[in-house]
Amino acid sequence: MINFDMNLLTAHLSQSISVFAPEIALLVTFIVALFMDVVFKKTRNASGYTVCVGLVVTGILLCTQCGVKDNIFVSMLAVDPFALFFKFLILISSLVVCLMSFFSDELNKDDRKMGEYYSLIAGMTFGMFLLTGATNMIMIYLAIEMMSLTSYVLAGFTKEIKRASEASLKYVIYGSISSGIMVYGMSIMFGASGTMNLVELAGLISAGKVAMMPMIVASLMIIAGFGYKISAVPFHFWTPDIYEGAPVTISAFLAVASKTAGFAGFIRFAQMILTNDPFLDWKIVLAVLAVLTMCIGNLSAIWQNNAKRLMAYSAIAHAGYVLMGMVVMDEVGISSIMIYLFMYAFMTLGAFAVIMLIANKIGSEDLDDYNGIGYKMPVLGAFMVIFLFSLAGCPPTAGFVGKLYIFTALFESGSQWAWLAVIGILNSVVSFYYYAKIMRNMYLRGDANDTVERYSFSSASIALVAIITVPVVLFGIYFGPIVEWANNSVALFFN
Amino acid sequence: MYDLVKFVPLLPLLGFLFLGLLGNKIKNEKIIGSIGCGTVGIAFVLLFSMFWNFIQAPPESAVIVPIYNWITIDDFNIQIAYQVDQLSLLFGMIITGVGFLIHVYSIGYMHGDRSFFRFFSYLNLFIFMMLNLVLANNFLVTFLGWEGVGLCSYLLIGFWYDKKFQGTRLTWTGDAANKAFITNRVGDYGFLIGMFLVFITFGTLEYTSVNQAASNAYMSYYGSGIMTAITIMFFLGCTGKSAQLPLAIWLPDAMAGPTSVSALIHAATMVTSGIFLIARNSVLFALAPDTMTVVLVVGIITAFTAASVGLVQNDLKKVLAYSTVSQLGFMFAALGAGAFTAGVFHVMTHAFFKGLLFLAAGAIIHGMHDEQNIKKMGGLKSYMPKTYFTFLIATFAISGIPFFSGFFSKDEILWSVYANNGILPWAILAISALFTAFYMFRLLYLVFFGKERFNCEHGKPHEAPATMTIPLIILAFLSAFGGFLGIPDVLGSWASESPNLIHNYLSPIFADANRVLHSHAGHSSHSSILELGLMLVSVLLAVFGIYKAKQYYSDPAWTSPRKLVRNYNGIYRMLLSKYKLDEFYFAVVVDTLLNFSKNFLWKIFDVKGIDGVVNGTAKGTLAFADVARKIQSGIVQNYALLMTAGIVAILCIYIFI
Repeated sequence: MINFDMNLLTAHLSQSISVFAPEIALLVTFIVALFMDVVFKKTRNASGYTVCVGLVVTGILLCTQCGVKDNIFVSMLAVDPFALFFKFLILISSLVVCLMSFFSDELNKDDRKMGEYYSLIAGMTFGMFLLTGATNMIMIYLAIEMMSLTSYVLAGFTKEIKRASEASLKYVIYGSISSGIMVYGMSIMFGASGTMNLVELAGLISAGKVAMMPMIVASLMIIAGFGYKISAVPFHFWTPDIYEGAPVTISAFLAVASKTAGFAGFIRFAQMILTNDPFLDWKIVLAVLAVLTMCIGNLSAIWQNNAKRLMAYSAIAHAGYVLMGMVVMDEVGISSIMIYLFMYAFMTLGAFAVIMLIANKIGSEDLDDYNGIGYKMPVLGAFMVIFLFSLAGCPPTAGFVGKLYIFTALFESGSQWAWLAVIGILNSVVSFYYYAKIMRNMYLRGDANDTVERYSFSSASIALVAIITVPVVLFGIYFGPIVEWANNSVALFFN
Repeated sequence: MYDLVKFVPLLPLLGFLFLGLLGNKIKNEKIIGSIGCGTVGIAFVLLFSMFWNFIQAPPESAVIVPIYNWITIDDFNIQIAYQVDQLSLLFGMIITGVGFLIHVYSIGYMHGDRSFFRFFSYLNLFIFMMLNLVLANNFLVTFLGWEGVGLCSYLLIGFWYDKKFQGTRLTWTGDAANKAFITNRVGDYGFLIGMFLVFITFGTLEYTSVNQAASNAYMSYYGSGIMTAITIMFFLGCTGKSAQLPLAIWLPDAMAGPTSVSALIHAATMVTSGIFLIARNSVLFALAPDTMTVVLVVGIITAFTAASVGLVQNDLKKVLAYSTVSQLGFMFAALGAGAFTAGVFHVMTHAFFKGLLFLAAGAIIHGMHDEQNIKKMGGLKSYMPKTYFTFLIATFAISGIPFFSGFFSKDEILWSVYANNGILPWAILAISALFTAFYMFRLLYLVFFGKERFNCEHGKPHEAPATMTIPLIILAFLSAFGGFLGIPDVLGSWASESPNLIHNYLSPIFADANRVLHSHAGHSSHSSILELGLMLVSVLLAVFGIYKAKQYYSDPAWTSPRKLVRNYNGIYRMLLSKYKLDEFYFAVVVDTLLNFSKNFLWKIFDVKGIDGVVNGTAKGTLAFADVARKIQSGIVQNYALLMTAGIVAILCIYIFI
């Protein structure tokens, strides 16, 4: 119980703030970046550079937190290796998205002021950091709102494009409904138990002091809220529309960072609450969600003709694979999810980066316009092929390793989930079809003669994609350290 | 000290990455060549310094140098780790040493090629893969290298992919590359099955643990079905990679690649992987006497068959290719007879003299402006004196002329086959050796002596540049004197207790296997007079072969060979068409498979079965997509409704079911 002795509280707060340093750095970045644009009127990307520096500083501060395990702000937030793993992953994605944004033509058009854009990315990163450690339902809600509100603006950032504004508006409405459902679930949970704190709530539930009906209803509503963040079917409807309408960089950010943070919060909630819940057979619920998400994601992706929309459905399908890992929910299962999300981040960011660079040249994301494009950009084309193979889960790429650990976790947990793994494997076969379709258009359609005029890309943009390719290939053959890191983080999480 | 082994494969890998990624930006052949050679040269120096250290103070057991944990799933753990011991050091030094010389040679040989950098990056990749194969401490890493060298072999056979190539049903060099790759798949399948069986039986894939477990429990494993299965499967892999019957057919066509590739991959190193694999797992093979017999028989038949085909071929590189197949047969015969050291020793001497023969052949082809038919050569001795001299030494060595390197290794094989398996296998191998001497000197006389049968429309033949001749001279030196590392006891006993240095060096590796073999077979001793006598017989046979070749081909009209061809036309045609093996495979395997695929798999199974299902599903998914499209209407109110409906549905299922 919280002690209201003033001295103790002050000591606790100052302790909390010292552990909160990375998030504070993000907040400072958020605010400073806003002003940079005003101060340096001549320099276009001043705030972008500021955010990059801020993110790097945050990363350095995160490095000092290895092995720290603490509860801060009167049990609002947990700082532990589990959260740290996800924070690093989110931070890397934010940094890559910022760097990608420097090369985006749709963003940097017509002297658009980019100050808010970069500072909102920092703000959204802050929200995601909070969600990875949230141990109080209020904090979960606030973190999700922080992420959502910033992402509404970012999704509609190219406001002169009609579909972007439309996407943004849809996102606002859909997001509000989802958070409404979630916060309603939380209020039922509070009404039934009298606490918002997840640790206390878990204690009450396992002691049998919470009634069955409110428990089931509230749990499902909260699952729906998280399901919206990770775009699980049937809470996924926003995903294709928003990914298609938003700038490519923001689609990438939503597909990677936002989803990662959503899973971090969801796993923590599930591990603390659902595993103690005697009423809800949550494993079946998650398994059904996983099957629906994989199947609908993959089967819908087959019919897409827009690269961003296709990637949206692909992102949905990948959420389904990760949900399979959540069904297991033991140490092996959670570490397999972490490995999967780690691998997923790089290949997805890479694919979006290439889609963005192609759009810069041809002004389209339509797959029919990709015909023969592989010959016009041999280097980027080769990188794209690597990303697509990785997304499909072919060895020796990172994507294979991620899938390998998810499926292994399912088989290791006993034979009752073997059927789920089989559905997952069949789904990854299906997914190969639409990834291959992109490659087919790039290389086998259109004329392939030597006289094709080649696109020229700035060497910095090629270098960025090359740097993203390195982990996709490297972690396909040298994944020991990542596995070890994930295993250690999970081991500390469980103890 | 032995930690340095980490850098040995790393260097060629870096060379491959650098040349492969940036090679086309560097136009300078000297820089590309120096990088390509340098990485391999430094790797050799590292290995040699480790070897020097090793023989000064041999460690108790193999030194394992872990690089990193590759796959960890619960208890299952596969490390990328290298094993430093007598065997891996010897093979490593052969690969990097001979490899370095061939790299240097290639600078001259590939001069002016439009893909100069690509060639060197592939060569470096090959060295990297080959080093992984021999330095690995477990089957999986060896398999990685095994597949990797197969890939490099494919890439390099088809290096001049737009060049025509003559062969049975082959028209492009790429077809030859496909043939090599696909034939090897059969063998690789055997390797995989063998590896699975090892894992099931021993629960680990590490060589030291597997061999330890097998030799500790040898009483129960000896002759058991599982040992026979494991070793037969690995031997199937060996017949693919090392071109033994029934999978030998790919190697002669692999000559479509540049000649330095033939020297490096298809003579000196990759094709000896099979011998390495058996030597590495000598205990497992010693525990499976039936497999040993199979290895011996396959080795002998291959040695004889290939040597006989070599008698009548007219393509310079084809003769050498059949000679390689035949010599590999000798090595397998040695392994099958339980003489592991002799087999490995022959790998080494063969790397010297066959590498040299191919490089010299490359110099001849280079000097003759891409002419490979020996009937259109002759009298080249005066044009290419250095090439002639080195070729002569290698020919002496392969023919088994006393005190050249091949003499020692081949004679050890012949003697151990006689001592363990009796007179008949010995006789077949001795006749193969006679054939070898004959076809090699036939080659020598047709190429370097006699009247000039070429026309000079491209200009006169010329000697190769120094980057090509210097490697030839070094290899000639090794071919001449390399054999003194393995002087048999019967010849060297006057000088020292155990004069056979290579035997002493390798004995710890094969100690367990020999213990198993002796405990079951009993060691029969033969007199040294008999050994000397058999040695004399084989030398006389070789001299007889040389004499016949000289008699036949120093006559400019070739009267006696032409008479022979007339009188024994059937045999001649059979040999010339390589026993119709290619035709046999095409008729029995390839065409059957193609017909089956076309008439059943495609026209019935695929079109009627799969397509039916797929089209059906497509119709189904179209309907689904239609529904999905309606659902994904873009109207956000509908989405909200569906989301709520989803929750309510799950809730209803909970409450009412």
